[in-house]
Amino acid sequence: MPKIVADSSTLILLAKCSLLQIVCDLFEVIVPKAVKGEVASDDLVKNYSDAALISDLLAKGSIEVRSPGISDTLPRPISLHKGERDALLLALALGNTLFATDDGKAIKAARFFRVPFIVTPKIVVELFRLQEISFKKARKSLEKLSKIGRYSPEIIADALVTLMEEKNGKTNNNKDTGRPVK
Amino acid sequence: MAKPTTIRIPEDLLNEIDQFVQESNLDRSTYLREVLRKGFSLDKQDRLFSKYLRKELSQMEVCQELKWDPWEFLAQLKSRNLHLNVELEDWLDATGFSS
Repeated sequence: MPKIVADSSTLILLAKCSLLQIVCDLFEVIVPKAVKGEVASDDLVKNYSDAALISDLLAKGSIEVRSPGISDTLPRPISLHKGERDALLLALALGNTLFATDDGKAIKAARFFRVPFIVTPKIVVELFRLQEISFKKARKSLEKLSKIGRYSPEIIADALVTLMEEKNGKTNNNKDTGRPVK
Repeated sequence: MAKPTTIRIPEDLLNEIDQFVQESNLDRSTYLREVLRKGFSLDKQDRLFSKYLRKELSQMEVCQELKWDPWEFLAQLKSRNLHLNVELEDWLDATGFSS
């Protein structure tokens, strides 16, 4: 099962798109302790339904909490907040793991360490490509990432084009194989 | 406890403030303290968001500075009509599940 180490930004956006549960079912989702504190503290759970969902998945073990287990400092000039930093270090330590983040600075740091990263719109398109969600669900999720998630219009437009290409590819393949399209 | 400080203010601005304070029956010092507090808060937010958009600060670093949670951060982005600091290049370079 592929491993994903997520920071707060991605956990929240996946929850907002109603995709967090399915991602946890399909992949091993891991977060450092600091991220748990940032998105699932008692106060946050009282105020936000997304936080309550994340807290529930943590309690059930669908989201695993792990310590980076290596030096907890990043070399200068790279600096991040504790949750983002520990998530990146954890992905680095685990190896063969995707670092899921929707923060530009964290992505910059991931590039520096050559840690493969994924952003939420890519997760949406990939879930459709793997036939885990329908086209309609994927499109709605991308629209939510635009409106609620504050993703830039150019990224959402490109993601929608990629989604359409995936759909057309599936349709064409199905003409050949007769397999159903979700 | 409030501490005294000295700043130079352009005469025309000071005259405008004095006139407004008189017309509104406000205490001049209390009013100036309040304006300074409000202005500082807004300016701090603007400057931190600029740093966020330039990727000099991460989302959670901004949250820590402003004592916000990540949901408040998203709400503030919306109210300012700003977007996440993830760029098209980041989306294009993102790794897929099968790669």
